[in-house]
Amino acid sequence: MNRFYLDVHALQTVPPSNLNRDDTGSPKSSVYGGVPRARVSSQAWKKATRDYFKSESLLDPSELGVRTKKVVEVLADRIHERDETIDEADALELAAEVIAATGLKIEVPKRKSSAKKSAAEGEGDEETQDALPQAKYLVFLSARQLDGLARFAVEGAADIAGFLKDKENKARVKQIADTRHSVDIALFGRMVADATDFNVDAAVQVAHAISVHRVDNESDYYTAVDDRNKDSEPGAGMIGTVDFNSATLYRYAALGVHQLAANLGEGLREEESEATPVRRAAEAFVQGFVESLPTGKINTFGHHTLPDAVVVKLRTTRPISFVAAFEEPVRGDLGGHMSEACARLAEYIPDVERAYGDEGSTLTWVLRVGPNTRKLAGIGTESRNIGELVASVGQAVAERLEKPE
Amino acid sequence: MSVLTLRLAGPLQSWGSSARFTRRTTESAPTKSGVVGLLAAAAGIERGDDAALAALAGLRFGVRIDQPGSRVRDFQTAHHGDTGASMPLSERFYLADAVFVAAVAGETGLLTRLHAALRAPVYPPFLGRRSCPPAQPVELGIRDGASLHQALADEPWQAAAWYRRRHRGEATVSLTVLREADEKEADADYQRDQPLSFSAEQRRHALRTVVSRTVTVPNPDAALRQAVRPRHEPFDALEESV
Repeated sequence: MNRFYLDVHALQTVPPSNLNRDDTGSPKSSVYGGVPRARVSSQAWKKATRDYFKSESLLDPSELGVRTKKVVEVLADRIHERDETIDEADALELAAEVIAATGLKIEVPKRKSSAKKSAAEGEGDEETQDALPQAKYLVFLSARQLDGLARFAVEGAADIAGFLKDKENKARVKQIADTRHSVDIALFGRMVADATDFNVDAAVQVAHAISVHRVDNESDYYTAVDDRNKDSEPGAGMIGTVDFNSATLYRYAALGVHQLAANLGEGLREEESEATPVRRAAEAFVQGFVESLPTGKINTFGHHTLPDAVVVKLRTTRPISFVAAFEEPVRGDLGGHMSEACARLAEYIPDVERAYGDEGSTLTWVLRVGPNTRKLAGIGTESRNIGELVASVGQAVAERLEKPE
Repeated sequence: MSVLTLRLAGPLQSWGSSARFTRRTTESAPTKSGVVGLLAAAAGIERGDDAALAALAGLRFGVRIDQPGSRVRDFQTAHHGDTGASMPLSERFYLADAVFVAAVAGETGLLTRLHAALRAPVYPPFLGRRSCPPAQPVELGIRDGASLHQALADEPWQAAAWYRRRHRGEATVSLTVLREADEKEADADYQRDQPLSFSAEQRRHALRTVVSRTVTVPNPDAALRQAVRPRHEPFDALEESV
């Protein structure tokens, strides 16, 4: 397998906002280069990227995973959909058997509040509803995996226990649960705590975003009037504070394309080229990571922005973060932080590539907005818009994958 | 025998040795399991391949604290994918703004292979946690025939420019070295970060010896200042008058 990485770097300015807060309600922060910085955690941006896949339908929903404990129910629904002669109760039993055979631990959850509720309502119906077996942990099974399991269950529906005793079938059910991972899981990994042979190591590495400059959190003191107060009751109806900051963030993520290919397994559809799912996943990753935004307090601050500058690299050597270009904090006293941040990158990238990269095999693309980013113009192939960037990255990924070793 | 030295620097690092469940702490310096894990990832050793791991875990390990950094606490919430119900809150600790030199000593051929793997890794390197990529390439180089301690003592000071500037009044700086004990050293502590298995089912670690030493390295940024400092010798004046 050809080994190669896709690095995505973005500079993005966010106005006063609180994208990602800690337990005191303040925006998350860190220290770098000896000064405080704004920080947005990697998990916050990963979640935003995954949500963006769904909300923008970047990928067919059938290729995205759902994270749930209720895998038995979900699978039972699929079984019932596939073969309507299997009634719902039988489907549930089938599903429980099949899920157990994959190695996932399932249990019937203890009822707490629902016990009270059904006692109050005096209904036995609730009870059967509540007593459905669940996985002990949150599980991701891609739509494709669920389809595979449903097909398997229908096949062995006549005598599922006997069917599962067969060694070959036993191996098969494990294999279905372990291959054809949805694109989402292949990119970002999966959390299953007990059936470890399903675990997928994420192909994407996302760094915490940090500001390129010094940032101190600020506090907005607000008052709100009670409209129904009379003149005799002057004063605010309520007062409070909201912490916020504004920052120009350096964002970085790397995708091990070879690892993604291994996670995805063979082509998802038989008529497709083997490279197709990898290409589509890489495209979705680039677009999703660039365009997504954590939604923390977004209705308070309306911080909808997009990166001013994006640099994407496809390389055969190691992934390289350019964060060290901002270890010395950007001062920004001459016309904002973006212009100086771009100048820093424009100087740093060729330097670090010369020292550690492989200039012959590395491809570089740039997408940039506004005069502040002009210094980055020469750093790689310019794309006119995000669509063009994503398409050319996808094409290069497919070409590299198909190239004989 | 040779020594491979690494520069571990980035905005965030996190080196847990006893972290479990919802409170994920970090040691104040890289752990052996963390650094061996980084090398194993680069070399493409799969989780659960304990035999391949054993060769790497057999390397002797040490680390030098070039810039200690500060501790950052990260508070993490998670929600159920379907119902939106809250999952257990977790705390993660990071070292921000720290720089370390880590070193592994062992057979030259193995170190040469690891050095090459770091330049074209199978799985990308990270500083203790996936979300902490290194700020610059990590490998510094291979020292043939050096001892672990000597290699860590000889490596130039790797602290960031801003940090060195803060110490420009000092011609040399003394740095803490935490490394595995030699046979003769009796003052060792123990730390449970000797990796036995990274298998997803059961990670296992054994105890390992750690001795704390200090090495003194020159401060390259101090040299200029020293040269221009006026010579101050009060007795010179007396001699002239005699």
